[in-house]
Amino acid sequence: MSNALAITNLTYRKNYQTILTDVNLTITPGKVVGLLGENGAGKTTLMRLIADLAKGYRGTIAVGDATAGVQRRIAVSFSEALQGFRPTTKLSAVRDFYARVYGDFSAKKYLDLITFLQLDDDLELAKLSKGTREKFIIALTLSREATLYLLDEPFSGIDSMSRKRIISSIIKWKRPEATMIISDHYVTEIAPLLDEVVVIKDRTICAHKSSDAIRQEFGIGVEAFYESLYEGAIQHDDL
Amino acid sequence: MQFDDKVPIYYQIKNYLYHRIIAGQLAPGDKVPAVRQLAVDLTVNVNTVQRALSEMVTEQVLISKRGRGNFVTEDVTQIAALKHHLIVTYVQQFYHQVHGLELSDDEIVQELRTYIATQKGADK
Repeated sequence: MSNALAITNLTYRKNYQTILTDVNLTITPGKVVGLLGENGAGKTTLMRLIADLAKGYRGTIAVGDATAGVQRRIAVSFSEALQGFRPTTKLSAVRDFYARVYGDFSAKKYLDLITFLQLDDDLELAKLSKGTREKFIIALTLSREATLYLLDEPFSGIDSMSRKRIISSIIKWKRPEATMIISDHYVTEIAPLLDEVVVIKDRTICAHKSSDAIRQEFGIGVEAFYESLYEGAIQHDDL
Repeated sequence: MQFDDKVPIYYQIKNYLYHRIIAGQLAPGDKVPAVRQLAVDLTVNVNTVQRALSEMVTEQVLISKRGRGNFVTEDVTQIAALKHHLIVTYVQQFYHQVHGLELSDDEIVQELRTYIATQKGADK
């Protein structure tokens, strides 16, 4: 069986600046992976590269067997910020757009998700609070029957009730064979959800470990592990 | 349920289920909630729940029936053994911690007796 994601020797420069360098990452199908790193570490860029929203990289990115950008777009469901839509657009219109563009968009799943997340899709985008907007983005992203889901900081700046609902919806609606990468710079609340963690630091991936292996080998939590990598208490050689 | 992030989650899920079985909340022959339902209830990953349940099936605390789910064993000696195992584990932890404080075995027993007595007094 091929990997859910295989990145080899990925380097990405933009405006003469190196954003990512020598990134190698392999993820097996069915995993929930936390992508951790400080703001500006390159988490979003990496996701955009995987989803074929950023171009001009060197190296290879394969999602399943798909290496070409067009194919990857079909296999990957990326939580987009909905910036292309006018503020007065109704949520139902955004849904119609998604259903037209993505062949794997499931109307039933969408309905289940907005019901569970308590969303009213007759509202306009501009009327949504930050938490509600984030819930809507999650509903759209999970409504696709993709093989790889990329959730870019779905929990930043939202209240704890919305966060709990989003976490539950991820557990409920992720198909066993589907793979999910969730980026965040704060990990405590989602730690029990993660099979593995990937840490980005200094423009590359500095650690990739199973969460329970971290707890077993180091006797520390995922958050403490992540912090100690950033503080240099755990060196790359220790891994 | 709150998890301790320093201890493997699958291990904590197993412990949680052991306690429910010993306390009789999950009786012999009872069906264990489905994997996804448990994952949602405990707010953990489905794979982690799966790992905990598979290990409990291997330990024969749970019996897996194809297509029907997991059931608590009806073998009560198995459950008694599980209970005994948990007791030994806790006593071991307690003993090693207290022993580290340079107490003799007699003193440890005495401290425990005193504690139990005061607890009983407090309950009245």
